[in-house]
Formats: sequence, C-alpha cells, structure tokens
Amino acid sequence: MSEQKISVTASPAVPAAAPRHRDPLALVVRFQSLIGLVVVAIGGIIFSPRRHGQILFLDPDNIANIVRAVSETGIIAIGMTFVIITAGIDLSVGAVLGLSSVVTASMMISGGFGLIPTILAVLVMGIVFGAIQGTISTRFRLEPFIVTLAGLQAARGLALVVSGNQYINISYGDGPGLAPPVFAILGERLFNNTVPVATIVFIVFAAIATIVLNTTRFGRYVFAVGGNERAARISGVPVSMVKISVYAITGFAAALAGIVHAGQFNFGSANDGMGYELTAIAAVVIGGTSLFGGAGSMVGTVAGTIMLGALANILQLNNITPAMQLLATAAIIVLAAVLQSLVRRREGLGR
Amino acid sequence: MSAPLLSVTGAVKRFGGVQALRGVDFDLKAGEIHALLGENGAGKSTLMNLLSGVYTPDEGTIHIDGKEVTFNNPREAQAAGIATIFQELDLVPTLDVAANLFLGRELMRPGGFLDVPAMRSEARKRLEAIELAIDPASMVANLSIGQRQVVAIVKALSYASRVLIMDEPTAALTVGEVDRLFDIMRKLAASGVGIVYISHRLEEVPQIADRVTVMRDGRVAGVTEPHAPQAELVRLLVGRPLDELYPERSTKAGRTLLSLRDASFRLAHESAGWQPPSGVSLDVKAGEIVGLAGIMGAGRTELLSALYGTGLSGRWEGEVAIDGQPVRLDSIRAARAAGIAFVTDDRRGSGLMLRMAVGLNLVMSVIRRISPFGLMSQRRQADAVKQSFGQFDIRPKNPDIAVGALSGGNQQKVVLAKEITGNPRLLLLDEPTRGVDVGAKGEIYARLRQLAAQGLGILVASSEMPELIGLCDRIVVLREGRNVAEFIGGVDEHTVLDAANGREA
Repeated sequence: MSEQKISVTASPAVPAAAPRHRDPLALVVRFQSLIGLVVVAIGGIIFSPRRHGQILFLDPDNIANIVRAVSETGIIAIGMTFVIITAGIDLSVGAVLGLSSVVTASMMISGGFGLIPTILAVLVMGIVFGAIQGTISTRFRLEPFIVTLAGLQAARGLALVVSGNQYINISYGDGPGLAPPVFAILGERLFNNTVPVATIVFIVFAAIATIVLNTTRFGRYVFAVGGNERAARISGVPVSMVKISVYAITGFAAALAGIVHAGQFNFGSANDGMGYELTAIAAVVIGGTSLFGGAGSMVGTVAGTIMLGALANILQLNNITPAMQLLATAAIIVLAAVLQSLVRRREGLGR
Repeated sequence: MSAPLLSVTGAVKRFGGVQALRGVDFDLKAGEIHALLGENGAGKSTLMNLLSGVYTPDEGTIHIDGKEVTFNNPREAQAAGIATIFQELDLVPTLDVAANLFLGRELMRPGGFLDVPAMRSEARKRLEAIELAIDPASMVANLSIGQRQVVAIVKALSYASRVLIMDEPTAALTVGEVDRLFDIMRKLAASGVGIVYISHRLEEVPQIADRVTVMRDGRVAGVTEPHAPQAELVRLLVGRPLDELYPERSTKAGRTLLSLRDASFRLAHESAGWQPPSGVSLDVKAGEIVGLAGIMGAGRTELLSALYGTGLSGRWEGEVAIDGQPVRLDSIRAARAAGIAFVTDDRRGSGLMLRMAVGLNLVMSVIRRISPFGLMSQRRQADAVKQSFGQFDIRPKNPDIAVGALSGGNQQKVVLAKEITGNPRLLLLDEPTRGVDVGAKGEIYARLRQLAAQGLGILVASSEMPELIGLCDRIVVLREGRNVAEFIGGVDEHTVLDAANGREA
C-alpha cells in the first residue's frame, strides 16, 4: 500500500456534507422487516384464537411451527440476499431445491450411499449448478433473469429424470436401500422438544451469512458489484468471480434447503419447492434489500422470512382462506417496495 | 536534460478501419500540469486510455523515466504510478467514503475480516491531508459532485502517485468547486505529481495549465503555452479560424413571454440539496435570450425544472404568468400546453432514447401531431423528421441510426431540434453545451440567436460563465433560489461571479 503525502498550507476546505438529520422514513425502512415482524406479532396476539385463556398464537408449539415452516424458504432467502445485493436474481432456487430433495432421497434409497457422501454430493451439486448459471451469465453477458429462468426449467427436468416422476419415499434403518435413522432428525425438535432442527439449520446458516456479508472482503465486494459494477471493476474487484460466487451460494442454499426438505417430509419429489423462489424474493425485499443492488441486510431477510410465516400462521389460526392469505402477502410486498422507493427518491438515488 | 516523467512516442491506434491515433508524441514532466485539449473524436480519450492501460498501442512506445513500459491492463499502469480519474468517477454510491477509498485494497484483520476502524481512520488522515472535511463513514450518494470528485482523486492517489490523468474533472463542478479543485491540483503538482488535465473549457487553461497540447484528427495539432490567445487555441482545435464563437446580439425584445413576480415553489416534501425557487422575479421577452447564473446549489436547474414540472412535487406561489396570462405550472402537461419546451442538462439520461433511431427521437415532441386517431402516420412522421433536420445541421444526416452512436455535439443538436420542432414559445435550456465541442457550440449559439430573432424566448442556465456572457442579452444571477442581481450581456465575468458568490462588487 503506497502512501501519498501531500503537504498543504491554508486552503479553503471543501465544505463537509451537511449533517443529514435522520430521516424518520429512512429509519422505518431500515428496520421495516423488524417493525413489520413486531406489528405482525402484536396483531397475532390480538387476533389469536384463545383456548382455556391461552393465546394460541404464543403457544410454544405454534411458534415452533412457524419457524419450522419458514426454514426452507428462509435458507433460500439468505442465499438470494447475496444475489440481489449484486443487482442479480436467481429464479432457479425452488427447482434446485426439488432436484436436491430428489437426489438426496434416491442416492440414499436407490443408490445405497451413506448419509455423509449423499449430503456432500448434493451440496456440491447445488454449488456447481449455481456456478454454471453464474458463469453463463457473466461469460455471455446475459441477464441473470433469463439464465436462471432456463436453470429453473433444467433443474425441474433433471429432477423428473432422476425421480422418474415418482415420489421417492425415504425409509429408515440400517442396510442398503434404507436411510440412516439419524437423517430423520431434520424433522424433529431439540432442547426438550422445543426447537425444530430445520430452524437451527436456517439460523446457523443465516448467522454465517451475516458474518460473511458484513465483515469479510467478499461481502464488501458483493455490495460494490451491486453498487457500481464499473467502479468495482476499475478498483480491481474480481467482478465476474464475485458474481459467479453469489450464484454458487444460492445453489448451495437451495441444495441445503432440499436436504432439509427431504429430511422433514421423508420423501423426494420433482415438484418440491415449487414457487419457493418467489417467496424467498418477497422475504428479501420485505427485509429491505434493494432490487437495484448495492444495499441490503441479512437480518432484514431473516425478519422478513419469519414475518411472512407468522402472517400466514395468524391467518390460518383464524381460518382465513388461502386466497386471502395470498392477497395479504401481496399487500405487504407492495407496501415494503413503496417505502423503499420513497426513501430512494429522497436520497436522490431514485429513478 | 533528464528524461521526462512520462513520454509517448509515435503512438498509433486503430479500431477496425478507424484510425483513432495517427502517430502521437506527448510528454509530461514531474510537477507539471499539462492540459490536453481536443474536440470530440480528436483522439484524446484514446491517448488517455493508452496511458491508463485500458488499450495497448498498435505502434509507438510509452516511457516512464526514460524506460520503456507496456501496460496490458489498468492495474499494470497503476503499478507504474499512473492513476486515472474517469469522468464517471467510478465510486460506489451505496458504500461509504472509506469503503470506496479502499475498494479492492481492503485492510484486513487476521482471520479474513475487514478492519473497518483502521480503514476509517486511515481514510480520515488522507482526506485531512488535503483539508477535506468529509466523514469517512458517510455514504458517497450523500456527497456533492465536487466532494465526490475529491474523493476520487484521493482514491486514485492512494494507489498511484506519480502521474494523475483527469478526464474533464470540472465538467460538473461549479465555479467555487473548480477553484478548490485547482488548488488541490496545484498542491499535488508542487509535490512532484505530473498531471494530465483533459478539458473542453478553453477558459480554464490559462488558470491551471503549465503547457497545452491540442489534438485534432488523431494527431497533435500543436503544443503551446497556456497564455496563448484563445483564438489561437480555437484555430488549433478546429483547424480553421472560427470567426466569432458568439453571434451578434439583436435585442429587439417583443412582448413579455414569461413573467415571475416573487414566485416561490413550495415543495410537497423538503429535500436536501434541492434549492427551490424562493421569491424569484424575472421576465423573459419574445426574441430575448436570458441567462441564469449562480453557483452550484443556487437553484438554476431547480428553477427550470420547477417551471417545466419535472422537478419534485410541489406548487407555485406568487405570480407566474405566460404571455400575460396567469398559469398554474404544476405538471409537464401544463407547461407544454403553455408553449414551454425544456432541454435537460442530462441528455443521455433524460433527453434522448439512446438506442432508438435519430428520427424517432426527433418526433418525440410532436407525436400527437403525427398520429391522427392514435395511429402513427408514416408520412407525417417523415415530414416531421425532415423539418427537424432543417433545424440543425445534424451529422450524419441519417434518421435511421441510433442516436447513441452520434457525437456529443450532434446528440445535443438532436435534443434541441426535437424540442424546437414542437414550436414552443419559450425554450428552457439547462447547460445547453455541456460536453459539446467548440465547433458544434458555435453552431448551436448561432441557431439559438436565429430562433430568438424569430420571436422565441429563451431562458438558459449554465455554469460556463463565458457562455452566458457571450450568448445572452441579460443575465439574472440566482442565489439561494432568489434573483439577486441582473446584468446585460457582455458584462465582466468577475462582476457576475461576485454577485453569484454574494460578495460586494
């Protein structure tokens, strides 16, 4: 690092940026998913059905249910956050989840592979799948939207080939054609039967992702590529490598979610994870990450994921139809996006 | 005599069939500020890209301290001590200042983690070294263009400290910011840095440069000293004497077209850095070209965009009248209905559809006229395109090529022609010749004067003082959104500057 010393005498200093008084709206947007989560939780308590004076929404079983139900889309949303901060998108993740769940089941049941080789193979497959999409997108300068749309088709097609369009049921036991019983732990709860294992996987993955995004050079590069790709390139940031890496991360996340899916439901099917990519994108956007790239937060994504799950849960507890649940989700996505757009315009970044 | 810090000998560069450089010699001494002038397409960008390692020359050599070097990429040029600041500034707006300064060269703690405190304090040190009071933790998006410019310089110097190449650094700066930038450049030169300074602004050259190289058609047209008369520089630039850059004034002002009396624009929401018109009184008469002067942030652009309804949302208070009739100018639709046309300072961003053909851009302002019953009429469109081409000498004279492929000057002529085709009464122009070469400038000025003579009223905002003084009949000086002084055209530049800066004359 060469250092530049400039000796200076009196000179009119360029005035500092006017101290920006905190825009309350900006604060709301910064913590929008956390605020949303609190609002949804309060709403859940108020509108929750009660049984014997107990608030059903706060019942430990119910809460465990919420965080278990969101763990797969949560894992995917964590990976998606990286991609979206680079101003990209990955539509293939739901299909890769399906492919991974099918491969997990068939490797253990039909292939006779052990647990560890199966998990490693599936994770590597996810990484490679994502990296291939990233490579195609950077090498041929294609929009990630179209490349991962193709990836979605490819992964579903592969899943159908591997599964022969059948459910592959996972039976447990020792010996060929059976999965090791320990794999079933993904559908269980730990700590006195309170915390779902799937949720633990989600939270651990989220914690690692948070550290990577906020404290490592790679994380900084992810923000830089999304913030101004040209500037990043000229500063010596390996832009293509960063882009390929973030798609490898979503591939990894989708594969991890696929393994969790197979473990929770004890089968693999080519239709697993249908539409998960959209739920994950919604969670990321509600979490405050900008689709224009350059800004975003992992904590926001986690909160956004749980918020969507809690919302669905309240509506279910009150026997509200799935149709209304979809409409409520739609309203929240629009609200989150409108808030972000308002702040962008105020900060002069808007379009 | 010792070898120059940097020298280029016989540089040739071809792109396909186009020869961008035809044997260029150029040299730079340590501690020298060397201005590189040339019209668009003269080859100065290509030369700059050779020096910064973006291109490699087809023929010719580059020497540093008398030793031959070759750069295969920008990093190699940086390693040799050459830093380039491109016009786009290459900062990441969503990251903070420290993160930008260290992008690609982050300071790390053991274990692979970023050392943010160390980067912040080091960034603070470097910014203070040039007395720039910027918080290293503030987001670049929140800085002014002038501040960003200096951050870019500090960043460039942090990895290459011998040669600094600056591509039109003053293009987006106000007069005050330009002065501060020049101070910083002089200090850098005094510390031994050689600076290549590329600019369109002839009037800046004597202020800052030690030596001037003028390029034309891929060759060096001449090397001269900075105090050479402007006419001499223009002759070198254009290749022929340019009789008069600014046309004769013909102040036959007619009726009052635009009249503002203590007019203010109330914003629906306050916005940092957007100075709304507050208590402006001014007139623009038919046949008149009125200039708007003022420092950056004085509200020149804001006044024009508020009149045209493209600014932030809000409403006018006080008297706003067009042709004697009070009007509510609260939307683009209302402005157009009142006969106002507007040419933005950002032609690439909001003036043109760059990928669309020239002809389609030209008819954009009269699309209703050429689409009876909502159906596009090919015949009327062709007529309108022909009419537009008659407004300005747009080269090449081909309506079917994408407007983005034209030179800056020709793009600007397309924007102007487009607006004039709609037959406005009042034309609002924001920085009408930004990034436009001298030849095209003269042509644009002459045409504007002709249009005024035909009865058009023109209100021009510009940060180029000589342009306002040379072109306009009257110059209104704005400060903090208010008109504070008015001068007739041809006034002394310093008088206007003093008024703009709030100093007593």
